[in-house]
Amino acid sequence: MAQTQTGSFKTSKKKIPVEVQKRRPVYFAIIVVGLILAGIVQNVLAPARNKEQDEGHEMRALGGLNNEFLLLPLLGFRQAAAGLLWVRCDEFFDSGDYDAILPLVRVITYLDPHDTNVYITGAWHMSYNFTDSQERSDRRYIYPSQALLEEGIKNNEYTPDVKFEKGWECFDKIKNFSLAQEGFEEAIATKPLKGTDYYPYGAPLKTYHILAHTYEKEGRIPEAIAEWRQALAISSYFLKKNGGTEEKDFSDYTMQQAEKHNLGENIWRYQDRYLTKPHTPVNTSNYPGVLWPFGGAGKPAPWDVHLTAHIQVIRPKVLKFTGTFNSADGARVDVLIEDWDYKPHIDKNSTTAFAVDPHQTILMDSISVRKDTFDREMDMSKDPKMYNFSHDYYRIVVSFDPRTTAPFVQDRFGWNGEGLTDGQPGHVSIDPTEATFGTKFMNGFGGVGPVWDGKTAPWNQFGQPDHRVMVTFKVSLQQMLGEKPITNANIVPNKIMPLGPDMER
Amino acid sequence: MSVIYAVAHQTVREALRRRIMWIFLIIGVFLIALGPVFGFLSPRDSLVILKSLGLAAILLAGLFTTIVTCIYLIPVEIDRRTIYTVLSKPVQRYQFVLGKFIGGFFTVFINIAAMGIVFLVMLYFQMGHHLAPDMVEGVVLTFFQLMLLAALSIFFSTFATPVVNFFLSFGIFMVGNLTSVTDTLTTSKSPIAALAGRIIYYLLPQFGNFNIMNSLIHPGQNITNMQVYIRNCIVYAIIYSSVLLAIAILIFDSREV
Repeated sequence: MAQTQTGSFKTSKKKIPVEVQKRRPVYFAIIVVGLILAGIVQNVLAPARNKEQDEGHEMRALGGLNNEFLLLPLLGFRQAAAGLLWVRCDEFFDSGDYDAILPLVRVITYLDPHDTNVYITGAWHMSYNFTDSQERSDRRYIYPSQALLEEGIKNNEYTPDVKFEKGWECFDKIKNFSLAQEGFEEAIATKPLKGTDYYPYGAPLKTYHILAHTYEKEGRIPEAIAEWRQALAISSYFLKKNGGTEEKDFSDYTMQQAEKHNLGENIWRYQDRYLTKPHTPVNTSNYPGVLWPFGGAGKPAPWDVHLTAHIQVIRPKVLKFTGTFNSADGARVDVLIEDWDYKPHIDKNSTTAFAVDPHQTILMDSISVRKDTFDREMDMSKDPKMYNFSHDYYRIVVSFDPRTTAPFVQDRFGWNGEGLTDGQPGHVSIDPTEATFGTKFMNGFGGVGPVWDGKTAPWNQFGQPDHRVMVTFKVSLQQMLGEKPITNANIVPNKIMPLGPDMER
Repeated sequence: MSVIYAVAHQTVREALRRRIMWIFLIIGVFLIALGPVFGFLSPRDSLVILKSLGLAAILLAGLFTTIVTCIYLIPVEIDRRTIYTVLSKPVQRYQFVLGKFIGGFFTVFINIAAMGIVFLVMLYFQMGHHLAPDMVEGVVLTFFQLMLLAALSIFFSTFATPVVNFFLSFGIFMVGNLTSVTDTLTTSKSPIAALAGRIIYYLLPQFGNFNIMNSLIHPGQNITNMQVYIRNCIVYAIIYSSVLLAIAILIFDSREV
């Protein structure tokens, strides 16, 4: 057969034509030089790729994937596979199959760690959508939800979206305003990215708004005022850029109106609550609101909220809360029921990372106060998956936090609860966590450091702790099951339980 | 050159006559056309999915087109014994291998170009009559990624049967897609793992270099200098393909057919 080919052959065993043999060194040279050049180009290419590719993220991702999900990423279709799975998630949302969504969210974030919407929606889903038969959220999901957001922030430093969501969850769901502040500040500190609607700023205007609200919740009014002024400057910039009128830029125009209103309201509230003048019609007295909370009483005196709480076990795991809280209508008292040694469940680096511990029990709710009394039945018997009651002891806390209450109630008590007290001194608990301290507006009330001068903003000196009113019970499993009554003998000294998942309990 | 052109021309004609080529093309276009179905998602989501799915469809259809085309190019000539007729003419073996490679590569080009145009036109309408020039970069790099794969398949086809070649090409494509994993391995604390990482990283073609989907679909995930990066990827593809073809020619030259 070889004889039919072009060229002559040497009489060697392999019968390789002479001219081919002559060309061989050239081929070898091409191969050696080519491989060296390819190696050099490869070394140039590697650092040019975005840093995320270099941190072994794919390694972790592949380690966390089930076999059936491995093939697509191996072929280089990670993002496409993630997109298709996200579509599947959407179907599960529609059909209400909420449990099926979590493993998919885990896999999608492994496949495409830059799809911020998956982190945001996944975290929201965990925090809000798993509820008991009385629509109370399953609080065991708070930790995995926050962990997912932290992971999303780590993988997407360039966008404020996930940072904002972390702040929002802490603000709206967890009610830990110092953590919320951290999230919003992180979002605002994002490096501005050309092409975004909010360039040359790092985050949308709404982030500045919610940060100002957060400062207000923390009792840090000078910072809230400074933030509203900053927001006003930003909305003015965009309004000017987009034509300067309501018709041409309705969005920024309305945002600016809200900023002006909220800034004014912050200042009025500060004056009403902490100064002798000037007052709005809300406080017609000559006293600061927090010193004269009764409005009509002869002389200033703190308001005794007189919190009492009684718990009756109607049926096993069905508790009826009754009590008094003298704050006038509109206030709400919070209820926490949890394992005495409750700690957030952690299960990292697996597709079951979002699984909650089925043996843990935690419930958080609030009860509205009507005519100084409250009354509410909490049924945990219908949701054994959420309320397993497999521990020997439980903590039940009935409390009131002035920082989470409505502004008209705060008008009497102040942002930090300066104007309230309780006939039972042990009921008033001061949160010693420095990160939660507000601004000191008046002397007294347990605050330290200088009183705000009423002008400098931001003030950046915080010394006023939050004053909560609490009653804590330590209850045994037998009592939860109704085998023994819960009495005042179960009341124990209060301990502020931090609500943030990364705060040690 | 005219000899190489003649072999390439014949290869393209023959490849385009095969129905499987058109089937892959139709599947690719169908997958791309499915994109707008995800309009029910939020606008950002639907665009991300549309882009990632479109680029993935082009790569997937192109991948199978390339492998299925290139693994048969040389073995089929040997099996049918038509290679004797070709090599009895004044055709050198290296010209035959290069002609086959260029023919296969041009077939892949036709395929990718067709799907790329459909993809870009669809994006144009989906994005409210706006062009997406960054997606052209994605399509171009996919094309050069598949050029490298074509050279790899041609290389294997000089000594392996089509079935073995299919699995070899497919397997190396998968390993080569784990560029960042092997990159991490090179700095491993374990000397064995680091050595294995270096061997894979420098000796195997790194197909993962060409995957820039992250930067294309996620704002902010920019590669340091996209134009330079693309140019370097193209240079890498050309150099590595040349190496593979040189080895293929060496083997084919020594082979009794």
